Amino acid sequence: MNELLSQNKSIYLQVSEMIETDILRGILLEEERVPSTNELAKLYTINPATAAKGINLLVDEGILYKKRGIGMFVAEGAKEHIIEKRRDAFYENYVKGLLEEAKSLGISSEQLVEMIRAHE
Amino acid sequence: MSQLVCENISKQYKKKVVLHDIDLTIEQGKIYGLVGRNGAGKTTLLSILTAQNPATSGTVTYDGMPVWENQKALDHLCFSRELNTLSVLGPNTIKVKEYLQMARTYYPNWDREMEQRLVAQFDLNPKKKISKLSKGMLSMVTIVVALASKADITILDEPVAGLDVVARDDFYHLLLEEHEATGRTFIVSTHIIEEAANVFEEVIFLKDGEILLKEDTQELLERAAHVSGLAEEVDAACEGLEIHHVEQMGRSKGVTVLLAPGEQIADGYDVTVQPVSLQNLFVALCGREA
Repeated sequence: MNELLSQNKSIYLQVSEMIETDILRGILLEEERVPSTNELAKLYTINPATAAKGINLLVDEGILYKKRGIGMFVAEGAKEHIIEKRRDAFYENYVKGLLEEAKSLGISSEQLVEMIRAHE
Repeated sequence: MSQLVCENISKQYKKKVVLHDIDLTIEQGKIYGLVGRNGAGKTTLLSILTAQNPATSGTVTYDGMPVWENQKALDHLCFSRELNTLSVLGPNTIKVKEYLQMARTYYPNWDREMEQRLVAQFDLNPKKKISKLSKGMLSMVTIVVALASKADITILDEPVAGLDVVARDDFYHLLLEEHEATGRTFIVSTHIIEEAANVFEEVIFLKDGEILLKEDTQELLERAAHVSGLAEEVDAACEGLEIHHVEQMGRSKGVTVLLAPGEQIADGYDVTVQPVSLQNLFVALCGREA
């Protein structure tokens, strides 16, 4: 959660991604309470409505859930869920850009595959 | 829910029209940012909202009551003006302590404990004369007045002018804390847009005495984008969209677009699409060539 906010993406998306990353890294554990909207607002110096939007996104996806009167908690299976989600988005987020850049440089798919193999 | 509503407000000084027919509704519980160039009419608008300056025409109401000469409505409002080392009579020789005493008499919900806590936190010397304060200290006094007033709708005019970067960060934290604790409404005018953008739930752009837009800050940024590339490709990708601030150099072109709901930048063109910061958007909409 202590990453820095950038200007390159909506703030609420950055808030939700940082929480996800913390769940992936085991900084936040399943069934553990996550910081409140107001705690996040203070940490990042952002409007609480924006922090709430980021949190609500994760609630809608079932990654966090609300315990009435206590706060937000990491759902059981959240980590697996995030891994699946990010795998699904991997092509769109990473491969697509890689292929576009390769194409404009005239690097063929075979050469790309070769580079990946050589890296291993 | 309490609202501050301003309808058809116009203001004219002799022949100069400063505000044109402004409609604005300020809702309870939000932090608003008011942004505009020098001379756009920000201070005039804020002083009319709080009945410190009569409008040439139009009405301002709080909870349905007119605010003009109505103490019942004014008890809910605070406009913490920019302080100056000079008053109309020459150097402003009253002391910080005395200035705060006047504010204490004026605002019915004044929080004495908070006043003292902030004066200590900002390291302000209460015995110092206003005329001897630095720019940053003048801003701190206005912040103390605004926060300690405990008014439901509190307006700060350029509260961070002259403050160093650490003090500005402290101010945003104080503002968020007070907002969290009380749900008070704040309207903050500022020229330092970038660092305050994330604190404002809504932003109001004032240009040449008119409200250019008033919108949820994050939603506004989501519908704004910068598109650049070969001029023909950029034109094709942005055809039919609201375009601002066109910059061209040789074959290359860059534009700022504001997408209406349902619109998008056309796919299939070789262009770079980048997010726009609130400051860039402001320059695109209110800059010289806008």
